[in-house]
Amino acid sequence: MRDVIFMAWRYLRFYRGKTAVLVASISLILFLPAGLHVLVEQGAEVLTARAETTPLLIGAKGSAVDLTLSALYFRPPHVESMRHREVTRVDRSGLAHGIPMHLRFTAGRQRIVGTTIDYAEFRGLTVDRGRWLAMLGECMLGSEAARALGVDLDDHVLSSAGSAFDVAGSFPLKMPVVGVLAPTGTSDDEIVLVDIKTAWVIAGLAHGHEDVNSAGKDDGRVLQREGRNVVANASVLSYTEITVENMDSFHFHGNPDGFPIDAVLAVPASFKASVLLRGRYEEGDVPVQMIVPSVVVNELLETMFSVRDWVVLGGLAVGVASAMTAALVFALSIRVRRREIETIQKIGGARKRLVTILGAEITFVIVMAVVIAGVLTAVVSRFGELAARLVGA
Amino acid sequence: MKILLFIAAMLVILAGCSDGRNEATESASAGAGKPLVYTTNYPLQYFVDRIAAPVVEVRFLAPGDEDPAYWRPDAESVLAMQKADLLVLNGASYEGWLKNVSLSPQRMVVTTDGLGDFLIPLETETTHSHGLEGEHEHHGTAFTTWLDPTLAAAQAASIEGVLAARWPRHADRFATQLAELTRELTALDAEAQAIVAGNPGLTVIFSHPIYQYFIQRYGLSARSVHWEPDQMPDETQWRELRAILGEFRAAWMIWEAPPLPQVSGRLASMGVRSAVFDPCANTPGSGDYFSVMRENLETLRRVFAADRPPAGR
Repeated sequence: MRDVIFMAWRYLRFYRGKTAVLVASISLILFLPAGLHVLVEQGAEVLTARAETTPLLIGAKGSAVDLTLSALYFRPPHVESMRHREVTRVDRSGLAHGIPMHLRFTAGRQRIVGTTIDYAEFRGLTVDRGRWLAMLGECMLGSEAARALGVDLDDHVLSSAGSAFDVAGSFPLKMPVVGVLAPTGTSDDEIVLVDIKTAWVIAGLAHGHEDVNSAGKDDGRVLQREGRNVVANASVLSYTEITVENMDSFHFHGNPDGFPIDAVLAVPASFKASVLLRGRYEEGDVPVQMIVPSVVVNELLETMFSVRDWVVLGGLAVGVASAMTAALVFALSIRVRRREIETIQKIGGARKRLVTILGAEITFVIVMAVVIAGVLTAVVSRFGELAARLVGA
Repeated sequence: MKILLFIAAMLVILAGCSDGRNEATESASAGAGKPLVYTTNYPLQYFVDRIAAPVVEVRFLAPGDEDPAYWRPDAESVLAMQKADLLVLNGASYEGWLKNVSLSPQRMVVTTDGLGDFLIPLETETTHSHGLEGEHEHHGTAFTTWLDPTLAAAQAASIEGVLAARWPRHADRFATQLAELTRELTALDAEAQAIVAGNPGLTVIFSHPIYQYFIQRYGLSARSVHWEPDQMPDETQWRELRAILGEFRAAWMIWEAPPLPQVSGRLASMGVRSAVFDPCANTPGSGDYFSVMRENLETLRRVFAADRPPAGR
């Protein structure tokens, strides 16, 4: 038997180019459906795990998928903003507690998530280094965000400037990093966490500046003073970092109930409360939509699975064609090797032995292809979740 | 034996590790097994304690020598409040620092939320504009709501409602203790009304604009200046007082704390006597909310029993 293996191996080594092409093509034929299956399953697990821990989501009317992807996986929000009074509406219903989410800004490529301290409790986030947010203007980083931004505790993060056309609005805010979150294996690892009020400061809805109310008449910054109305020129210095010294000068323009948010996580008190609340949003004349993220994600996954099934079907068709091609390659190979086979027969090689050698060659090729496809699938299985999250992020 | 000691040591180490990792959700109530409630001034602390003792532990962070209305919590204080099961706020613009901190709205109760119609807007609104942002206003309301016992009772009822919803097992106790507190507040209100009714035309000056709700409740004829009890007013402030006295004859100035002797002496030379009505925003040196308020009523009884101010000055 060893001589058969020796002959087969020597042949494959001698024609290593042809062998490599055969092994690679068969590996790919096996790997593509298997790898795709593993990747889709793991992506589905990542998506559904987060969606299932988010009972209800409220956002502006529009694409439920966009709302889910932005509020759960921090994709750029493509839905309209809504007013913060939607949080108040949820709280006042007595059926659920609302957690606001402001998702418009980034620091580098990391999304700034403006919310309340309740978000950390809701998601079970814990502090790895430093402390929780306490004061206006502070930020915390997810573990991956800290790595991506190259900053850590006591460093500063600068919010990305708003649109070039937003001349009166958002300006970069320099935020001290007061804590780094422990890794969770979810998209929370990618975020820059700030208080919702800090997000509004970045949006230009709250700001701090030099005191103009107590400025004298001859102060160059004051254009006009009538009673309690003070008109100052644009040279009044607005602060770009919130410190203990200037914090009290920060003030909001208008009622925060009218300020923008992108989503509300509604945490119902019970299943019954959840059903009642959904009924109110479905039947009532409200300017927003309430969705169940797990339903949206499942619909999304059905589409994904459907696409996967078609890809797998296509892969199988290609596989069958490739297998036939491989069979043809082997058949032609035997024809090309006729003189070699005749020589073996003339020096006493039995027909059975010849068939065994050819079979061993084919077996070698298939085994190598299966091993390579298995290794590739294992790699996808090991890092597929990470890949899915990166794609999701 | 060694094995048992080793296991015990490992359990202690593991317990220590887990404590440090879950600061967001950990309630500081664990200490005595009681829920922890923070308040932002002494009257609220007193009301919570009266309604919910001994079920909850009540804490109040502002230092004893500082007016809680102007206290600003540092990060450490905010982190302590984040661990509370409930944070009881006065509202009515009292906690100006609230816009600068990260606290859980879920755990907050604003005791004046349902009292919007009774809140008194401050007259010191300012409007300013600069750059491209347009005009905006800074405004608020008077905040010493607990000086009107009827508003204090409403605040106490609001606290009881939240406590009962949060810890329904103790709802009966909360209701009983609230009823007792409300009875005492009602008695306080009746006593104050009787005192004022004894001399309805009396005019007084308050040294600080913090008595708006007391003035509103009892229909006092009063004006306020803005003097500090531990400071000598400058000449501008004395001129302002003389101008007020020119059109508003008052024989008494009511202070939040005893004024400097030279100030009370100069006032006396103008025919204005000094009396102290402690708003009791911070923990009193002795006694409690009711003992301070009864002392205040005794002061008022003396003021309102006194002769009417002289006709000319």
